[in-house]
Amino acid sequence: MNRPPITDQQMALLEQRLAGAGLGRRQFLQIAAGIAAMGAAGWNATPVAAAPKLAPGEKLAKDQTLRLGGGGWWQSDPSSHDYNKDLYCSGVPALWAGLMKFNADFQAVPYVASKVTSNKDGSVWTFEIRKDSRWSDGTACTAHSFEWSFKRQLDPATAAPYASFLYDIKNGEAFNKKKITDPKEVGVKAKSDWVLEVTLEGPRGYFPALAAYLAALPAHQPSVEKHKEKWTEAANLVCNGPFTLEKWDRGKEMVLKKNPHFFGAKDVTLERVIIPIIPVASGALPYENNEIQLTALQSGDLRRLQSGPNGKEVFRYPFPGTWYLLPQVTKAPFDNVKVRRAVSQAIDRENVVKVSQGFAFPAHSMIPPGFPGAIDTPKIRAIQKFDPKAALAHLKGTPFEGGKNWPKITLSMRDEALGAKPLAEAVQAVLLESINMKTDLEVLEQRVFRERLWKNELQFVWIRWFMDYPDPHNEYFDTFYGKKTTGRRQAWVNDAFDRELELGRDTRDTKKRMEHYAKAEEIMQTDVGYVPVAWVSRYAAAKPTVRGFEKNKQGEQVVDGNIYFDMMTKLYMVEKG
Amino acid sequence: MRDAIRRLRRNKLAMVGFVVVMILAFLAIFADFIAPYSYTKTNFGRLNEPPSRDYPLGTDQIGRDMLSRMIYGARVSMLVGLGAQVIVVALGVPIGAISGFFGGRTDLLLSRFIDVMYAFPRLLFVILVMSMLGAGLMNIFIAIGLTGWVGIARQTRAQVLAIKEKEFVDGARAMGAGLGRVLIKHVLPNALTPIVVAVTFGIPEAIFTEAALSFIGVGINPPTPSWGQMVGEGQQYLRSYWHLCVFPAIAIAVTMLAFTFFGDGVRDALDPKQK
Repeated sequence: MNRPPITDQQMALLEQRLAGAGLGRRQFLQIAAGIAAMGAAGWNATPVAAAPKLAPGEKLAKDQTLRLGGGGWWQSDPSSHDYNKDLYCSGVPALWAGLMKFNADFQAVPYVASKVTSNKDGSVWTFEIRKDSRWSDGTACTAHSFEWSFKRQLDPATAAPYASFLYDIKNGEAFNKKKITDPKEVGVKAKSDWVLEVTLEGPRGYFPALAAYLAALPAHQPSVEKHKEKWTEAANLVCNGPFTLEKWDRGKEMVLKKNPHFFGAKDVTLERVIIPIIPVASGALPYENNEIQLTALQSGDLRRLQSGPNGKEVFRYPFPGTWYLLPQVTKAPFDNVKVRRAVSQAIDRENVVKVSQGFAFPAHSMIPPGFPGAIDTPKIRAIQKFDPKAALAHLKGTPFEGGKNWPKITLSMRDEALGAKPLAEAVQAVLLESINMKTDLEVLEQRVFRERLWKNELQFVWIRWFMDYPDPHNEYFDTFYGKKTTGRRQAWVNDAFDRELELGRDTRDTKKRMEHYAKAEEIMQTDVGYVPVAWVSRYAAAKPTVRGFEKNKQGEQVVDGNIYFDMMTKLYMVEKG
Repeated sequence: MRDAIRRLRRNKLAMVGFVVVMILAFLAIFADFIAPYSYTKTNFGRLNEPPSRDYPLGTDQIGRDMLSRMIYGARVSMLVGLGAQVIVVALGVPIGAISGFFGGRTDLLLSRFIDVMYAFPRLLFVILVMSMLGAGLMNIFIAIGLTGWVGIARQTRAQVLAIKEKEFVDGARAMGAGLGRVLIKHVLPNALTPIVVAVTFGIPEAIFTEAALSFIGVGINPPTPSWGQMVGEGQQYLRSYWHLCVFPAIAIAVTMLAFTFFGDGVRDALDPKQK
């Protein structure tokens, strides 16, 4: 099939859609990356087969029950499981199946749809629906179901907070804003039970990626009409995903049961999934007490678990990210490049990361090792190498010679998960130790932080960037490009740096591209636009009886997040020993 | 007055409280000489260590001496306790006194204002003020002071209302003393007892409020240590490194108890009828 081209204008529209749904630029970029990485099969790439591949000696357990949670997963009750109305309901996505889904590499692939085609310019999309698509009560989940679901989200009477997610659909916005009242004019139409035609406001080559996102999951019409807002209670819920909701004890636990009517049921091995509601402060305790078999880990527990008898259960999962410092070049004393250089060589990275208890390792550039564009040359390593003598030498001739006369310096960071603050405090400590720079650490509420950051108001910032997709364009252009008009984190601008990024973007040859980015990194570090400090690691733990995690192209096991949420269909339990 | 002091000295619990408070005050004032290390001195080779000979209370997440940080934390607590009370008294006593003494429309307006302020949930209001002012010791004084004066204002008003009807007040007026003079020279000194009691109870309350603020991260900024902040950061590591949060939590509890015992003693001593 020929995929219609996706123009830059269309990508801008896509971003607007996602922003309207409350999604950040990060999610947009993740989805955009998936689109960019699509192979020749386009939207119709075949999903990976899911049947468990047992290792020799392994035996499927009789009891296919998985208990998961903790470490930040479901720390409180979802408001509902109605993703069709509210994509931030924080319900269980495994109850649902959309037309498309994202695979472990963030690419959209068909799911309830069996085939996706479009007209030439991508303004009309046709989804052929699997004929074995069923609701959990056994009735057919047809094109009509999706037509109704999309219209329900757009219907002003539903008051879906993120309805703008579907504004690409013809007349979707007008219907949602009550400019037209006849739902028949909305561009979603079931041509037959098994063919859904979506007419858009214009060419939208990315539409199938939207159809894979949480907000495009369907809702069951008879249940919604009968039970109103109580339709996702366990007693009422009819869904179309790999699992059904057997029980939902508020504040206690949710129990999922395999859905025998799910079209992919034969590839789903788990019979039951139990999700206890566990506050993040409980740490790994429930996991260690065998109350759960799969959990995310926080920094307070990692070392203890890793060094314990069951250390092998801990695994790292993909979460490439970089912690760095932003000295604001418009604010004293950082307007002086000598001060910035002193700071950059005053950071004892080896020691700072010790504080993270394994959730960080020393960084000498933006891109973590193992990812495209990662740089490990003596030249780059030397620029901001820890060297307190050199740091003090940079201060010669400045008003701060010998580490004296520092003005009041406030280091700002955002209030976030455990482990960020001790790192920042360690940075404070080494700055004091190396160049006698006293700093006050200010932890700002998320929204306040972002607003002040984007106004470039903060004097000195402790911040991280989590990679959205494995390409240096994301790590440099999306973060540091000087001509960005929105969401710029720093006042620092450098024309030579920008030029390298533009060349990197426009060059096809991979080797040459990477040379441009390496040059950019060198420029940025020499001018101290930022100070890389640490790369991020994330960990989860699974009992040896839990198997079947999908691996991404980098070979790491992936776990559910807001884009990929296909984990539970892949997992299976094996007998002990 | 001598009577009161004798009663206070006979109260054993109150004296224990007093001694603890004095020790804390001593630690706070001479922290620079007593603490074995600077509160910023890190040892990256020895993170999260349990108590040992080098570090009697262990080290924290970035290898700082817990004992030294606790001693400096006492300074923050004592400063907050006293500093906030200064603002509380400076606001609460005049407002209460004026309201009670002048009565009429003035009293109506001020009393209603006091009622409105009283209706705010205290801690939430403090958090609101802190988020407007930003973290820092001075701002904690202000935030606690701005929200804490209401109780003292009510107490003062009630006392002034009762005292201004007494004969000696009429006598002073008859002698030709002005209203202001009567209020300051004759009424207020006689209303002092409940104010002193309110202040002794206000100190632990302020200390606890600071601990709560720092616990949730809007109080004292690192690296300056505060007990509440230490508990807040340490509680996430309770399972792995218990000492991070247990010692500062004990310090807060002991301080609160000491002030409360002492405050109880002061109240009983000054006003034996209430016992």
